[in-house]
Amino acid sequence: MTVIKLTTQAYCKMLLHAAKYPHCAVNGLLVAENQKRKDGQPVLCVDCVPLFHGTLALAPMMEIALTLIDTWCKENKYVIAGYYQANERIKETRPNQFAEKVAARIAENFSEAALIMVDNSNISMGCYDPAISVFEHHDNKWKCRDASIDCCEDWSEAQKIMSALLEDRSYDSLIDFDNHLDDLRNDWTNPEINKSILYLC
Amino acid sequence: MASVSDMYDVTWEEMRDKLRKWREENYRNSEQIVEVGEELIQEHASKLGDDIWIIYEQVMIAALDCSRDDLATTCLHELQKQFQGSHRVKRLAGMRLEALERYDEALKMYNDILQDDSTNTAARKRKIAILKAQGKSTEAIRELNEYLEQFVGDQEAWHELAELYINEHDYAKAAFSLEELMMTNPHNHLYCEQYAEVKYTQGGIENLELSRKYFAQALKLNNRNMRALFGLYMSASHIGASPKASAKVKKDNVKYAAWAASQINRAYQLAGHGTKETKCSLKAVEEMLESMQIMPS
Repeated sequence: MTVIKLTTQAYCKMLLHAAKYPHCAVNGLLVAENQKRKDGQPVLCVDCVPLFHGTLALAPMMEIALTLIDTWCKENKYVIAGYYQANERIKETRPNQFAEKVAARIAENFSEAALIMVDNSNISMGCYDPAISVFEHHDNKWKCRDASIDCCEDWSEAQKIMSALLEDRSYDSLIDFDNHLDDLRNDWTNPEINKSILYLC
Repeated sequence: MASVSDMYDVTWEEMRDKLRKWREENYRNSEQIVEVGEELIQEHASKLGDDIWIIYEQVMIAALDCSRDDLATTCLHELQKQFQGSHRVKRLAGMRLEALERYDEALKMYNDILQDDSTNTAARKRKIAILKAQGKSTEAIRELNEYLEQFVGDQEAWHELAELYINEHDYAKAAFSLEELMMTNPHNHLYCEQYAEVKYTQGGIENLELSRKYFAQALKLNNRNMRALFGLYMSASHIGASPKASAKVKKDNVKYAAWAASQINRAYQLAGHGTKETKCSLKAVEEMLESMQIMPS
């Protein structure tokens, strides 16, 4: 089974989104480069687009976001490769029906799509453990992947940079699609945060 | 560690006014409230007059959000000294216990309040909040419904109920709750827009038509509501492409969708101002709309 891995940028932006709205559920998309992969080569999610916070389970804005980001992906030779969600309650780590539906929709277009649930209880300043669980599609069900498989391309780099970003409260300036809908000038590609991450690498 | 007033070059009056704004508009920017409020309390308490009590309350709740039990306890003690036996303060003590996940003790506090005063809505709502925090959604919904039978005018509660239903994917009941809100707040574009989203999610041609109408209504109430504009575009596009719609309905909806698309483009152009990043957004939107254009039959 193809393994999904995240770059530091994808991992950090996803967790910054969760950190920005600690009292809400949040969700978003992961994108990978659209290229032919050799057998056994992992799918590398290079970026993350934070979508919504608060009430997630409504269709119209999700459809708009998927279509718009799909168009943006094609422009940049990316493909939507995954969906992530952080639930409202700290102990709730299982994906709900809505998460599974969105992930299934993504899988129609990209068969190795992953569904990632953020493990809220593992988010800390020190970032000691990866705060995510990866679910993969087997026999029409989403099954949790073995936690011992490394989810990041370079975990020690991701850990260091994530910690620094949290200290800096970079999440204050993270823009998600909801923020974009509130004011179209808000840029959901988050170029400033991308620059900060690159600078810290 | 630099003080807030040094870092942002603000006076204590400005800090107090900011806190008031956040309080009145119900913002949950707890980290900021703690930062500003803690400094205000520590450095300028004597200047605040009677405002200090409501600030203690606001900062205490924000401190709970940020796991600052030290600050929360300080605020709570000041309030307990000043307002002995107050139910409002007792509710805050209960909230602190909730934050520490000591739910049984919190419940006891709220039940004590309710024994003294069975109409205390704050205590009842905290009990429902505990159910929500424990993941007992079905019970929370049931208790909230019972509460609303007695307190039919509580907008906040109706909205909470709508959201609980949406999270349980019970869109029909969510729609009903939002209908209550729209009836009592006919000029609120946000309720209209959220109702339209629920109808859209329910699916089926009748719900799509309703959804389109309510997106249009939301837009009429606030022509800058982008969600309503996008929603109008999506619902009209889907109806226009639906095999179940009559030729006339399809034709009308294709027109609505085309209008919405041009408005969306215009909104992006206005926001663009020629910056490189928003140019990407604009291009993406243009392409998306083009690829979704339905040719009139």
